[in-house]
Amino acid sequence: MSDLRDHDQPESEDEEDFNPAPADVSDDEVQNEDEDDAPKRSKKASPARHGGDDEDEDEDADGDGDGDGDVGGGHDDDDDEEDDEEDDEEDEEIQGHRRKRRRDKRNAFFDIEAEVDDEDEGEDDEEAAEENEGFIEQEEPGDYGEASRLDDDRRHRELDRQRDAITQEDLEREAQGYVRKYGNRRPARGMGDTGVVPQRLLLPSVDDPSIWGVRCKEGKEREVVFSITKRIHDKLGTKDELGITAAFERGGPNSVMKGLIYVEAYRQTDILAALDGMLNVYPRNKLLLVDIKEMPDLLRVQKTPTLEPGAWVRLRRPVKHAGDLAQVLDITENGLDARVRFIPRLDYGLRDDALAMTQDGKRKRPVAGPRPPQKLFSEVEARKRHPRNLTGNPQTNNWTFNGDEFEKGFQVKDIKIQHLIVKDVNPSLEEVTKFTSGGEDGVENIDLKSLAASLKDSSANVTYLPGDVVEVYQGEQKGVIGRATNVQADIVTLEVTEGDLVGQTIEVPTKGLRKRFRTGDHVKVIGGSRYRDEVGMVVKISEDRVTLLTDQTTTEITVFSKDLREASDIGGQGSLGQYSLLDLVQLDPTTVGCIVKVDRESLVVLDQNGEPRQVMPSQIANKLPKRKLAVAADRNGSEIRPDDVVKEYGGMGRQGKIIHIHRTYVFCHTTATTENAGIFVSKVSSVSTISAKGGRVNATVSGPDLNTMNPAKKLNPTGGRGDMPPPKVTFGRDKLLGQTVTIRKGGWKGLLGRVKDTTDTHARVELHTKSKIISVPKTDLMVRDGYSGREIKNYDNRRPGGPNGTPARPSQDRATSDWPSGSRTPMAAPSSRTPAWKTPSAAGGGRTPAWNKGGDGGRTPAWAEGSRTVNPYDGSRTAYGSGSRTPAWSSGAKTPAPDHFGSKTPAYSGSSGDAWGSKTPYGASAATPGASGNDTWGYTPGASGSSNAYDAPTPGAGLLGAPTPGALNAPTPGAYNAPTPGAMNAPTPGGGWQGGWGADSAPTPAAAAPTPAASGFASSSGYYGAPTPGAYNAETPAAGPRYTDDD
Amino acid sequence: MFFLYNLERRVTLHPSYFGKNMHELVTGKLLKDVEGTCTGSYYIISIMDTFDISEGRILPGSGLAEFTVGYRAVVWRPFKGETTDAVVVSVNQHGFFAEAGPLRIFVSTHLIPQEVKWDPNATPPQFTNNEDTTIEVGTHVRVKILGTRAEVGELWAIGSIKEDYLGYLLHLLP
Repeated sequence: MSDLRDHDQPESEDEEDFNPAPADVSDDEVQNEDEDDAPKRSKKASPARHGGDDEDEDEDADGDGDGDGDVGGGHDDDDDEEDDEEDDEEDEEIQGHRRKRRRDKRNAFFDIEAEVDDEDEGEDDEEAAEENEGFIEQEEPGDYGEASRLDDDRRHRELDRQRDAITQEDLEREAQGYVRKYGNRRPARGMGDTGVVPQRLLLPSVDDPSIWGVRCKEGKEREVVFSITKRIHDKLGTKDELGITAAFERGGPNSVMKGLIYVEAYRQTDILAALDGMLNVYPRNKLLLVDIKEMPDLLRVQKTPTLEPGAWVRLRRPVKHAGDLAQVLDITENGLDARVRFIPRLDYGLRDDALAMTQDGKRKRPVAGPRPPQKLFSEVEARKRHPRNLTGNPQTNNWTFNGDEFEKGFQVKDIKIQHLIVKDVNPSLEEVTKFTSGGEDGVENIDLKSLAASLKDSSANVTYLPGDVVEVYQGEQKGVIGRATNVQADIVTLEVTEGDLVGQTIEVPTKGLRKRFRTGDHVKVIGGSRYRDEVGMVVKISEDRVTLLTDQTTTEITVFSKDLREASDIGGQGSLGQYSLLDLVQLDPTTVGCIVKVDRESLVVLDQNGEPRQVMPSQIANKLPKRKLAVAADRNGSEIRPDDVVKEYGGMGRQGKIIHIHRTYVFCHTTATTENAGIFVSKVSSVSTISAKGGRVNATVSGPDLNTMNPAKKLNPTGGRGDMPPPKVTFGRDKLLGQTVTIRKGGWKGLLGRVKDTTDTHARVELHTKSKIISVPKTDLMVRDGYSGREIKNYDNRRPGGPNGTPARPSQDRATSDWPSGSRTPMAAPSSRTPAWKTPSAAGGGRTPAWNKGGDGGRTPAWAEGSRTVNPYDGSRTAYGSGSRTPAWSSGAKTPAPDHFGSKTPAYSGSSGDAWGSKTPYGASAATPGASGNDTWGYTPGASGSSNAYDAPTPGAGLLGAPTPGALNAPTPGAYNAPTPGAMNAPTPGGGWQGGWGADSAPTPAAAAPTPAASGFASSSGYYGAPTPGAYNAETPAAGPRYTDDD
Repeated sequence: MFFLYNLERRVTLHPSYFGKNMHELVTGKLLKDVEGTCTGSYYIISIMDTFDISEGRILPGSGLAEFTVGYRAVVWRPFKGETTDAVVVSVNQHGFFAEAGPLRIFVSTHLIPQEVKWDPNATPPQFTNNEDTTIEVGTHVRVKILGTRAEVGELWAIGSIKEDYLGYLLHLLP
């Protein structure tokens, strides 16, 4: 509608809907008169009416006769332009009369009412028009005046009677007229309703009173009109009768003309007078003059959408519930209010503080905070805070709380229809489900009919795409199934694929269409449902609800078929931005997680602790690229890689395929459960391999198989050399146990005690001073000789675990190892051997003297023994030299040990794997431990031995070959005999603990001595500078002094 | 449904294997690579024989030799509407999973006859009508495939036992 204020626009000729006829002269005169004297006019007008009526009819008949157009149904008005023209000419007069009628104020009211009805029924209904005409024509001012004193009933009856009579008359007159006019002509089309004025001729012209829009209070429109009516009645017949001819409002629920009433009058002053002092209306504000051509629009009746109980609506008010879905329970009789139920948003007074009085006694405005979530009413909650505000009946479950009514958990309220959104409600299934979940028995009782109805109203948002399989469920083509080939606005062109019409192409409006799926179809959710973008297979279809099993989570969801479309076979949104399902992502510096679900805007991530978290993509630090080569060791030490199948040990015993290994966590996928998309997380140490990908053979021992990495082996595949013996590995009794120690640090510093128990890092020490056992880090202990109290240095270095331990350990190691050399060492140790030993090695020359020098006569052997410890390495060397020797050694009795060693070897190699690359490094690596403070002694020989072996295996072998027997034959006893005492005498303490390796046996002590020496030397000497020879050279002297010190 | 199908595949061989028995190696690699895999719409169950091993071609850059091998394989392709026997591997309230060889089939409760109901209290949990049908882990069932879905390296299907002659066959102890 154009601006109402735009009022001066002349009528346009070409507007068919409006009467373009200019006012005739007489009318003009009349109008001029009107301006001056309205009452007079109205009186004058009434007598003119009867005549006017007759004339009207006659003229009309003439016109029809001439024009030959309107006689039939009168429906042809608009068809025939010529007719129109002629009609128009004749209408001038008619209008003149009608206008006179209109001038009667009271008639005007009736006229308007009637016209509205008329339009409502259909504008072209001639018969109705005729009736209206008659109705209007019968009105007489006198009647009206009289009627006003009568009650309604009576007036109506009278009216009816009059109308009947007049109609009767009219008909007769008409019949005569027809006979007269058309008697000798061809019969006119149709029945002659010539008494009827074409409706468009009733349209207002400039001669009619104007209509002004008057501001009033919004929502009070109707009241204002009623009070105007009342005032008219009151003033009727008095000298200050109101000068207005009509008043109406268009306040309907959805009207855009709220806050306006429309008053028809000839002069604005009439309006001001009529509305003066009336409540809720503001005539003093600017009045809006309605444009003539817009006047009919004001009276056009719009069909208001009908609400029925059960329908779904959305709320506008109360504001707290804006947008919430509600169900209509009832409509009040006046059609203005609806009783609806909806899910309350209550905080049960939690935020009452915000409403508390402020200091100046005014209420604070409620803070616009987040509105409480929708939740069914809970009596318990309500009672907790405001028991006084709660009344109700627990039996019926009807409550009143803070003035609101609640029934079965739902809030029930009468709401004005204009505060409801009735169109395009489009309730989602989830929302609707909330309404049904409240059923006492928990049985789902969705009224899907009403839901579907609500949804169908908004079929506009159903989108069809070419390729959709659709079914016509309404209209002539009901039941036809086809594939959409083209969609244009509301029309879908479909090619029929089933039934008799196969192959034909038909066009159907979307209104009567629905998508069609079959069980097993692979579909994707596209609509506005919560499940948007889920992809799954249809398992059930009932009417337009489709249940599908989602691909990703294997859960069932139910959606409307309109929200689905067929998916490509491989589908599934499995990604959000750069993140896709099963990706490993970094959540924070210490946490990683595996994506187990991808929603539209968020991800669900299973973190390393097994907790699923919902995160936004922005909360993810970064994505960890998949490492295909990641390797870890399972609890058995077997290698595990991605794609291996592992089983949890203990716990839930889940079994799954590894998809990620991150540090000590494995993320596995199992098909046994759908929880977290089948992903679970576990520690590597708590899984065991079930099967490795590709049937990879897992070594039964931990670590890679070094045999394949050993270049020496590659070089001499048949050499049969034994592997380098591993140092280390803690096993057996901790040598620290039972030792006398002092504490070096902490509150217990300086106290003496005895080690009762140890772990890898700590020792429990029983204090001598006090009956107490304390736990102390091993590093804070100083080992002392149990008898002399002398400190045994380098105890740490000799730790059983280290390679250094070697000197002390030989016996034990030997016992456990297959290491031939180990056993041999002691044998080699004897002084007799020394020379032999020296000889082969380059260093020998230098060493021998040094060695000799270092020790006393008696000691030398002892030392030798120590060296022997070392000798294990020599032994190893020997082993390199000849495989045959090992057995010999084994026979010695140490046989059982071999296994140990065997196992150890690889591990050791592993740690120094790099060294294998070239010999030199080997030497270096061997030396390294020595440097680190371990006994160089044991080491050096080993290194040298190995290097020798490598460098010139043959000589080495030869060398060993010779000594070995010797060693076996005699030295062994010698070793035992001599060194042991030696050890006892002085070095023993050191040796004692050194026993890491050979503690149990006699030689151990002997070994002990050298070890410190070695370390001492290592640190001070240029061992590194010139590994092999240097070691030898340096060693000897070092050993010497050390030894001396010990003494 | 099983088919005998002629297929072709390119097999690469590491140079260290070049030698007399190369063809055996190629065949061996083919078997290893292909047997038991899923190509998207069918499973290659077994390779019957290879009938055409092309000359090897050295791939530039890597030194690997590529052979084009034609082979005949038994393949299994599940069809919509096909009826197959399967063993139940897991049961939950939404339905049960069954395996027909390599194919996992889900049978939803909607596709199980009404009278066969979920009984969570039984051990193990089962679908039962308290008469002749009891579906629990290890049960053999006859299932009609309603739809299939291909994923990388596997197929998925949903099935129905809501028709005559479908459903419980016998129970084997797992």
